[in-house]
Amino acid sequence: MTAPGASAGEASGDLGRVLAQRERKFAMSLLAPAFLALLATTTFPLMFLIWTSTYRMDLAMPFADGFIGLENYRILLADERFWSSLLVSLIYTGSTVTLQVTLGLALALLVMDMKRGQGWFRLIAILPVVLSPAVVGMIWRTFMLAPEFGVVDYLAINAGLGSKNWLGDPLLAMISVIVIHTWQWTPFAFMVLLASLASLPEDIYEAARLDRATAWQRFRRITLPLLRPAIVMVVIMRTMVALTAFAAIFTVTAGGPGTATEILNLYAYRKSFTELSIGYGSALAVALLIVTIVISGLLFALRRAK
Amino acid sequence: MTLKRVRLFVVMAIAAIFLLAWVFPIIWSILNSLKTDQDVLAYPPKLMFSPTLEAYRDVLFGSAAILPNLISSFIISIGTTIITMLMAVPAAYALARLRFRGKRFAGFYVLATQMLPPVGIIIPYFLILRRIGWIDTYQGIILIYLSFSLPFAIWLLVSYFEDIPFEMEEAAYLDGATRLRTLWRIIIPQVRGGIAVTIVFVFLNAWNEFLFAVVLSGNTVRPVTVAMFNFVSVEQTLWAKLAAVSVLAMLPVVVLGIVAQKNIVKGLTVGAVKGGGRR
Repeated sequence: MTAPGASAGEASGDLGRVLAQRERKFAMSLLAPAFLALLATTTFPLMFLIWTSTYRMDLAMPFADGFIGLENYRILLADERFWSSLLVSLIYTGSTVTLQVTLGLALALLVMDMKRGQGWFRLIAILPVVLSPAVVGMIWRTFMLAPEFGVVDYLAINAGLGSKNWLGDPLLAMISVIVIHTWQWTPFAFMVLLASLASLPEDIYEAARLDRATAWQRFRRITLPLLRPAIVMVVIMRTMVALTAFAAIFTVTAGGPGTATEILNLYAYRKSFTELSIGYGSALAVALLIVTIVISGLLFALRRAK
Repeated sequence: MTLKRVRLFVVMAIAAIFLLAWVFPIIWSILNSLKTDQDVLAYPPKLMFSPTLEAYRDVLFGSAAILPNLISSFIISIGTTIITMLMAVPAAYALARLRFRGKRFAGFYVLATQMLPPVGIIIPYFLILRRIGWIDTYQGIILIYLSFSLPFAIWLLVSYFEDIPFEMEEAAYLDGATRLRTLWRIIIPQVRGGIAVTIVFVFLNAWNEFLFAVVLSGNTVRPVTVAMFNFVSVEQTLWAKLAAVSVLAMLPVVVLGIVAQKNIVKGLTVGAVKGGGRR
């Protein structure tokens, strides 16, 4: 940013100061509505959340409510369901992000080499990502995964695997929600990486070809390093979304069977709005925020490294 | 030559499988929405059947009408879009164009608000809205939607504001135009395209939201994504109707997505490109 208010910058002395001040006032008045709204809808709730997390607050038993300090957090650290939901979160996030990036990258490389039909991929890839995860979840739960009537189950039967209770078995349910999330968001990785691939300089590849580098060498030594910023960006963005995935799991399994697909985000929701323990739910949400900050911190460090 | 051909064939086959996998659940929903329940539940799945619009008639005007929910979705999405744009355009202009102390921090703040897990916002918000009686109201839902639509819109718009040349602005100032007048008459028309793209994405995100809607909706205000959830219960699933509602819920966003096709990567990666970067 070099030029904003260049006219003010050129003026000198008092006039310059007056102009700069006027510019600042103007900026403040333009920013005020949006920032007040953001304070009210993000910062204020965050402070309120932290405050609630130090209370025993149970909508079903309001008579027992009261300040309990860090008690909720003490309970949390000893809560097996918290640790299991954290583990489910990490498995869900790790596997969906890895799948999205590898499949998206493979497909982007493949499509990049195609002489015709690229347009189709660019068009079709839009469809999943613009859909509501809630709608996607419900479509998969019914028309794709329902025993016998679902297309996936039909394919499984024909492949000789037999009909499966896709959302009733803990392991299959976990695989199912991972596949659904991957289905919806691989096109995102694909589109971003394809755009990034298309912007790579052609001449480096020419030089590599003259040096008789193999396709694998070209990929490993040229494409991958050049794509690294885009890949890391996709990983960061998708990780944040996967950690707070809600509709994509809630509409399919609601966290079940039992707590098999209950990620931390979903646990915080269920605790607060199904079991009505708002205070403890708040502590879980704070824990999720901390996990999010730690993981994004690690990823940003990865981005800066090298 | 033959090896090359085999390779080409394999590549095309893999590509075709991906395309099919992405498009199939959507097409299958459309097909199911044109079936009767018996046809939906047929085994093996039926590709050939006599299409009927019965399910659409039912969900639009019949027993399981979700027309009010579609209208709710539109009111929420349009309301969110209008309020977001009114606030985001001036803010983005200031962040992209003006010089003032704390600008770096302001930009960072907008980005950082997106780190907050939505579930952490909705718990306190639910308590507040319950106290002031705003559960199941449009203002309650639209207000909370600003928490994600504003940062998104501001960052997307900043990238468009940065693209216009400064000369135009300066010429206007030299002619004695006020800042506000310049913004309105000179700058805004220049970023019309960017504003249109932002409107599309803000609408789309509001339409697709689910968590806040589930907690805050009731009998008066219930967007379609929440209402359709009732079509799948433990007791029974209204198969064809669910398919019809799905198609109706998908329609606006698919149309918008295709309209905004060229800008979709920009819309999807907004903020991330610059976040933690040079600003």
